[in-house]
Amino acid sequence: MIDPLRAATQIAGAGLEAQSTRLRVVSENLANAQSTAKIPGGDPYQRKMVTFQSEFDRLIGSSSVSVTSIGGDPTPFEVEYDPGNPAADADGNVKMPNVNLVIEMADMREASRSYEANLQMVKQVRSMTTMMLDLLRNG
Amino acid sequence: MISPISSIGSIGAENRVAGAAGAGAAADADFGQVLADVAASTVNTLRAGEAAAISGISGNAPVQSVVQAVMSAEQALQTAIAVRDKLVSAYQEVSRMAI
Repeated sequence: MIDPLRAATQIAGAGLEAQSTRLRVVSENLANAQSTAKIPGGDPYQRKMVTFQSEFDRLIGSSSVSVTSIGGDPTPFEVEYDPGNPAADADGNVKMPNVNLVIEMADMREASRSYEANLQMVKQVRSMTTMMLDLLRNG
Repeated sequence: MISPISSIGSIGAENRVAGAAGAGAAADADFGQVLADVAASTVNTLRAGEAAAISGISGNAPVQSVVQAVMSAEQALQTAIAVRDKLVSAYQEVSRMAI
């Protein structure tokens, strides 16, 4: 059986890692917000979505978090009329990625807040451990 | 805490750390054995922290895991130092006892 405080740090670490992955995916979506297809009439960049799941960690005997999958968003693509674009089909329509900047910003903010919360947990555990050790030092 | 201190006398006799009865229960552990165990586990954690720091500098490990490993090493070291100080001061306390 592992020390509960250490387990809390490890769980918070898993949370940090999960939120980093989420931020990475948001970054991919933002960077590819204008990426069109390589071939005329083809599908453009499809927005990616992260899903999380709780995972029982046998080593620490508690549930930590992990990224289940990074899947595509099935929302239909927007179509723009742009005959000069190399990805345009016969009618001059170009499919644009289904990335919504506002949604990505919200997702980014949420990842950042969640990261902060997990970091705060690490700090809290650290300060509690230090308090306990001080008892040994000065007691 | 009382029974480990009662076995302090064996340290002065000879450095039979992993002595005959030393393989018994943890409660009967030798004073020196306890210190050695603490030191060994601390060294292992410190090594893990160092390895994580090196792979983090080369960019192969996420920052979080590097910080976590180094913090864990720091905590292990501080615990070991605190325990050592406590044990040594207990030992000195006993050795200063008027007979």
